[in-house]
Amino acid sequence: MESAAEYLFEYLRDVLYDPARANMDVQRLPEEFKELGQGLEFLAECVTETRTFAKFLAKGELNCPLPSHENEMAAPLKALHATLKHLTWQTQQVAKGDYRQHVDYLGEFATAFNTMTKQLEQRHVALAREIEVSRQKTRALEQSNDLFETVTRDSEQWIAVVERDTGEWLFSNYPVTQILASDSFLPRLKRWMSGEIAETDSGAESRTSEIELSDNGIAQFFTAILRPIIWREKPSVVFVLTDVSAERAHIRELENKAYRDTLTRQYNRHFGMRLLDEWVAEKRSFMLCFVDIDNLKYVNDKFGHNEGDKYILAVTAVLRGFSPDVMICRLGGDEFMLLAEGWDEERAEARLAALRGRLLKRNDEPETQYFHSMSYGAISVTPDNTLTPSELLAIADERMYNYKKARKLERASSAGAEPVAPVATPK
Amino acid sequence: MANVFAKSAPSSHNKFSWDNLGDIREGRGDLGEEMPVLVYRLMQYTMLDILTAAYGVEAADKHFRDSGYLAGTEFAKHNLKLDGTFDEFLENLQSTLKDLKIGILRMEEFDSSTGNIVLTVGQDLDCSGLPVTNETVCTYDEGFIAGILEAFTGAKYEVREVDCWANGDRVCRFNGTAQKVG
Repeated sequence: MESAAEYLFEYLRDVLYDPARANMDVQRLPEEFKELGQGLEFLAECVTETRTFAKFLAKGELNCPLPSHENEMAAPLKALHATLKHLTWQTQQVAKGDYRQHVDYLGEFATAFNTMTKQLEQRHVALAREIEVSRQKTRALEQSNDLFETVTRDSEQWIAVVERDTGEWLFSNYPVTQILASDSFLPRLKRWMSGEIAETDSGAESRTSEIELSDNGIAQFFTAILRPIIWREKPSVVFVLTDVSAERAHIRELENKAYRDTLTRQYNRHFGMRLLDEWVAEKRSFMLCFVDIDNLKYVNDKFGHNEGDKYILAVTAVLRGFSPDVMICRLGGDEFMLLAEGWDEERAEARLAALRGRLLKRNDEPETQYFHSMSYGAISVTPDNTLTPSELLAIADERMYNYKKARKLERASSAGAEPVAPVATPK
Repeated sequence: MANVFAKSAPSSHNKFSWDNLGDIREGRGDLGEEMPVLVYRLMQYTMLDILTAAYGVEAADKHFRDSGYLAGTEFAKHNLKLDGTFDEFLENLQSTLKDLKIGILRMEEFDSSTGNIVLTVGQDLDCSGLPVTNETVCTYDEGFIAGILEAFTGAKYEVREVDCWANGDRVCRFNGTAQKVG
């Protein structure tokens, strides 16, 4: 055997660096080394126990066996163990929402932990405040919605909420419900709504539109306000339709009074001149015809104004035959102006001649007391026209006058063929 | 001649009452309300010595525990908020024990269904720094903690120290068992 000192030294090295090999037989030691040997054995036990305990702590296994009370070397580790147990408790408390947990005397860890719990509490408070604000908003929205439904239920306006994706009607007030029941408007209304929804940006503010609906030939006009909304979590558009039929009728009546001749129901001079100004300004291509009723003064003087009015109406009826979309304006007394788009000179001349011929046929009727006739002059207006409306009208008037004069001469000389109307494009 | 203005005489100091702790600030105007832990321990362990000599270890420990219980109930009544939740109570208890330098109380376990509790007290007033004698010595604390827990929960508690500085540990660990009612 090596010396006792060497034996104990090897044993101590094994305890520290190779515990599996550490083994000592105290009985082999000389008497004076036996107590030292026993002390080293106890130290080895303490080291082993402390090492094992530290391994448990390193793995976070806190419900592990604790070192014996005699092992004072392990006391600081036991204090750490107690601290970790407490931190586990505190963390569980934080997880439950108890942010008052506070760590003392653990240096930087305590600062970090306490900062964390403080921030968590602040976020919790802020979140709770946000939730409360959201709840209040939700309550306010629900109340607003109730109010909306109450107010709109009996409104005379048509109010409907239509889901954007499906076109389903999510809400409709009483008037709309009636429409849904009778459905004479429904197909047209649904088509219109579908088109309007497509044109309504979901992020847009409200916009306006209008629609005309017919039921058995009776037209109704509506103005509409459209607003994108989220209705019961569904992207939708709310339609508010106001029936403006009465207002439209009133406006039409006013327009008639302002723009129509009371006898013939054709446009009056004021409207006719405005129309001519607009067409010229817009550089449209059209025929301007000036028509004069022949012998109207004679009829008025000889047969009275009632008969004169009948004569005017007869001419008006003939002129209406020019075309469905001709604009007929009575400029005053026996003068008319016709504005017609899409006509060339040749066709216009032929049509005016035909109309005059139709009027002349009345003279063949036995009860005719006076000669029915009219004179006309026309001018073609093209986009490159440089004359003013008044100049154009003057030229047409002059051509009408020349035509009338030629007709008079013809009739005075004898019965003969109708003269050719002076229709030409101004240079 | 009788003094008709005299207050009614306080009870004997042999019978504890909170008021009989007196006005320390008034009475110790210069020295103040605090004193070294050494003096506290001097009184505690000399008293333990005399009681043990007179009645034996077990009886002395019981008297100490009962004294702690009385102190705990009175302390809770006069120094703690007892009308909040358990978490609020615990926070208040921890901060109060720390502020009064009694010790650092740390929770390890609490079973809300049984009321059983495991807690530690670090840097304990009674024992931290004592030489290791392989015994638990904080019998006064056992009663003190039991009195406090009872004051809050209304349930009787049996508190026993399982780890102690004097037993080689660095914190005192207490197991509290709530007594079943009935």
